[in-house]
Amino acid sequence: MIRLHDIHKAYKTHLGPRPVLRGIDATFRPGEKVGILGRNGAGKTTLLRLIAGVEYPTSGKVERQMSVSWPLGFAGAMHYSITGADNARFIARIYGKPIQETVDFVEDFSELGEYYRLPVRTYSSGMIMRLGFALSLAVDFECYLVDEVIAVGDSRFGERCRKALAERQERSTLLLVSHQAETVRAFCSTAAVLNDGRLTRYDDLDQAIAVYQTV
Amino acid sequence: MGDALACQLRVIGALLLRELNTRFGRDNLGYLWLFVEPALLGGALGTLHYFIAHAMPGGLNPFEFWVVAYIPFYLLRGVINRAPFGIPSNQSLLYHRNVTILDILLARNLLEGAAVLGALVVFLVFFGIAFGHWPTDPFKMLFGMVLMLLLAHGLSLMISAGAVYTELFERLVHLVTYLSMPLLGAFWMVFWLPYEAQRLALWIPSVHIFELIRDGHFGGAVPTTYDIGYVCAWIAGTNLLGMAAIRRARRDLVL
Repeated sequence: MIRLHDIHKAYKTHLGPRPVLRGIDATFRPGEKVGILGRNGAGKTTLLRLIAGVEYPTSGKVERQMSVSWPLGFAGAMHYSITGADNARFIARIYGKPIQETVDFVEDFSELGEYYRLPVRTYSSGMIMRLGFALSLAVDFECYLVDEVIAVGDSRFGERCRKALAERQERSTLLLVSHQAETVRAFCSTAAVLNDGRLTRYDDLDQAIAVYQTV
Repeated sequence: MGDALACQLRVIGALLLRELNTRFGRDNLGYLWLFVEPALLGGALGTLHYFIAHAMPGGLNPFEFWVVAYIPFYLLRGVINRAPFGIPSNQSLLYHRNVTILDILLARNLLEGAAVLGALVVFLVFFGIAFGHWPTDPFKMLFGMVLMLLLAHGLSLMISAGAVYTELFERLVHLVTYLSMPLLGAFWMVFWLPYEAQRLALWIPSVHIFELIRDGHFGGAVPTTYDIGYVCAWIAGTNLLGMAAIRRARRDLVL
């Protein structure tokens, strides 16, 4: 279970504080697959970062009663000057997973070939995304936070990710932020719309998408 | 509580290994640079003073004096100079909730401490063999190095936190460590100074640490003055303020 209590977030800029989120309350239960729809700049990535605990809300509280992944996207979570395999070792160590098993799993899932033994900075953005997703699956979180990333990858890898997540259907929660209704439809069973710094949840996916298309 | 500690130790261990990889790579001399770099600098300075040396007060061997001064100084300066870059160069690791800024800085500074200590030990063995002079009390020296690391660590926490808010630290840190070089007590001894100056000098915590290390190395050959309680108060103060500062900075950090 993840609970958000009246989350506000503002960023300091040269033009003064820019509020991004203005009071978000939400509950995400185990096993839910929720799509969060929002236009560019609506604060989707910010919301995901706050849920992940990468950044902190200006006010309000995030309550996590399950293990939550880092936000899976293009940036962060790995070190660019070391190899994919070294990143796998590092992740295994900090999350207390068996090292060799993790290295093998990530190598197999990410399909990076010989790039797996080269520094991450030599990777294409698609390869970085694959490595990041494989690393997070190796840790085996209870909740995955995904930042549009799967949709951007090639469709074969997208399919594998979807399968991997589906296998965890029972125990894994998925929060996926996207500006594309089709992506949300492919991965999620319910949806919410982030607009004007507020989040509205809809039990019915079609209803959420219909609302999203009017904002 | 036990779990949290185990997790923190695991994270620091992983960060140490990663820091080793990123700083020294796996090629050429690799990890050896860890010791070689401070050893070369300390050795060069010692040799220089050995050959141009005027006699030192108390008849100390100038080579030994400069090496034993320079190596702890190298530790203090290294930790402080690298502090503003501690967070930016490891920012992506903060995506993992169980990695904290404190873990990152602890790992970096521990590594620096181990490297510099390694270089010092090499020199002490060399002095023993070459000059037949072994440290009077190696534990005092070790204790001094630990105190130096703790003091530098506390200061590095505050500087790292400050660097989250302003570039000033990044721009000024080298200048400040350079200018403060003559004040820190590395390259002179308290008993060389007139009484009034001694009293002022003993306000500076690092002065006490260098004196402690020299006491451990030279023993009663020269008089040394230090107050370990005073140093510990500084260590507690800088570390507590530093930890409060990074806690605050973490909340304001935009990754």
